[in-house]
Amino acid sequence: MDLAIIQDLLMTGFLRGGLYASMAVGLALVFGVMNICHFAHGEYYVLGAYCAYFAFVTLGLNPILSLLVASVLSFLAGAISEKLLFYPLRKRSKGEWIMNAFLLTAGLSVVLQNLFRVFFGMKYRGITQFWKTTFHVLGMSLPADRIIAFFIAMVAIAALWLFLKKTRIGRAIRAVSQDENGAKLVGINLDRIQTLTFALGSMLAGLGGASMLSLSPAYPYAGNKPLISSWFVVTIVGLGNVPGAIVGGFIVGIFESVSFFFLGSGWQDVASLTLLILLLLFKPTGLFGTQIKSVWE
Amino acid sequence: MLEIENLQAGYDRLQVLWDVSMHIREGEFVALIGANGAGKTTTLRAIAGLLTPQGGCVRFLGENITGYPAHRICQAGISFITEELNLFQAMSVEENLLLGAYLCRNQNLIKTNLDKVFSFFPILAERRKQLAGTLSGGERRMLALGRGLMSNPRLLVVDEPSLGLAPIIVLTVFKTLQELHAQGVTLLLVEQNVTNTLQITDRAYLLERGKITLAASSKELLENEYLKETYLGKR
Ligand SMILES: Nc1ncnc2c1ncn2[C@@H]1O[C@H](COP(=O)(O)OP(=O)(O)OP(=O)(O)O)[C@@H](O)[C@H]1O
Ligand SMILES: [Mg+2]
Repeated sequence: MDLAIIQDLLMTGFLRGGLYASMAVGLALVFGVMNICHFAHGEYYVLGAYCAYFAFVTLGLNPILSLLVASVLSFLAGAISEKLLFYPLRKRSKGEWIMNAFLLTAGLSVVLQNLFRVFFGMKYRGITQFWKTTFHVLGMSLPADRIIAFFIAMVAIAALWLFLKKTRIGRAIRAVSQDENGAKLVGINLDRIQTLTFALGSMLAGLGGASMLSLSPAYPYAGNKPLISSWFVVTIVGLGNVPGAIVGGFIVGIFESVSFFFLGSGWQDVASLTLLILLLLFKPTGLFGTQIKSVWE
Repeated sequence: MLEIENLQAGYDRLQVLWDVSMHIREGEFVALIGANGAGKTTTLRAIAGLLTPQGGCVRFLGENITGYPAHRICQAGISFITEELNLFQAMSVEENLLLGAYLCRNQNLIKTNLDKVFSFFPILAERRKQLAGTLSGGERRMLALGRGLMSNPRLLVVDEPSLGLAPIIVLTVFKTLQELHAQGVTLLLVEQNVTNTLQITDRAYLLERGKITLAASSKELLENEYLKETYLGKR
């Protein structure tokens, strides 16, 4: 096999992995702090894509501004859905939170997909590119959007890391993930931390959808594929593990591009699921599973 | 400072506390003693807001704090150090302590408190960067106490600080509490170690099956016949 093909596969997988990493980080954060298995994460990805589309195409904003608009709106959408849906559920549910919250996200996913259909129709809304250049990396020419989307994902993850590690609120988020009662007893308002966490997770997804707009257009069901792949990531690395989610994102990205090349699109999912089952059989806590619960230490 | 009137509390349908009334004056060191399962921890949880009382009233510094969520009770000036400590296991000693001062926005004050805690527990200064989850049992207790002190509480509520500790460390913990008291901190202490507790506290309440059955100065209680027989293990 040609070296160029291997290089190409690895590069495609790596760039794709960047998106999975940032999506999976959102999932890991939401699970680690709120104990929600978030199955509507893909819809915030789609929301971000729609926002970027309308900002860029309809309003004619520049790319950076469009992405910013998309991030802010998905952050707000996340905050509103948390306050409107998960907050009341949390006040009421006793004991069965994980199951109830999971069902709520599954329902939310269906509702949001249908809202997208009603408002935007079954139409692909894509763009050819945000940035009209190509980059040359290792002798390959790649569209600028691909590279930039990758860097945006990395910057978003790095910014999240700084926020969690270096700020008072970020430290409070980590505290809630490790010990809810301890967090309450030092004066942390759990309700606010939960809303913020959900909003941050949604923002990561929305930014992902927005920055990938030229590669995958906005469409009511466009969130399914990134949702499944990012769930694949968090399942193999262990739920609620943020640094693991980053590494896992790249593993899954490269794995998917390689299996796609050798097996074709139909069998690629089979390969992914097989890997998942094997991992769960032999290392049920995930690749980087630990005993102590925390999001990012 | 703290007044509890006819407090009723429990878990779901199970009522554990029945008409518990007690009070603590500023600067006092008060103990709550009782057998396993009497409801001591439940009382403290209800005070600290981890458990919503089913009835009755809790007032602190003249404010009715009944049913407040825990973070607001912390804000009001009560620091509760639980039996299970509730430390942030994957964080360093220092980060745990800084989180203890979460509500404080004054960096200088945080620094002062940190130094104060480190002078109380020099071992914590040594272990500053170590993860809380890797500390020994005694060090954990000290960290929990230190974290509780970081918020400059008006009232420190401590649940069984001697639990699972070697006798010599228990002594250190008791000394620390005494010292805190000497420095003017108001304390409510729950302990199984009744003799030692009565020796360092001003007053004590005896809780039996969810009801307060005795309330007196610790001195008197040390001489109390009933207590001697059932809790002090003397004839
Ligand atoms: N989370 C809970 N859910 C249900 N029942 C509980 C819970 N915690 C305590 N109880 C029950 O409430 C009663 C009082 O418990 P509590 O923990 O207040 O006792 P305690 O006086 O602190 O005992 P110990 O000295 O063993 O710590 C017990 O019968 C216990 O089984
Ligand atoms: Mg107890």
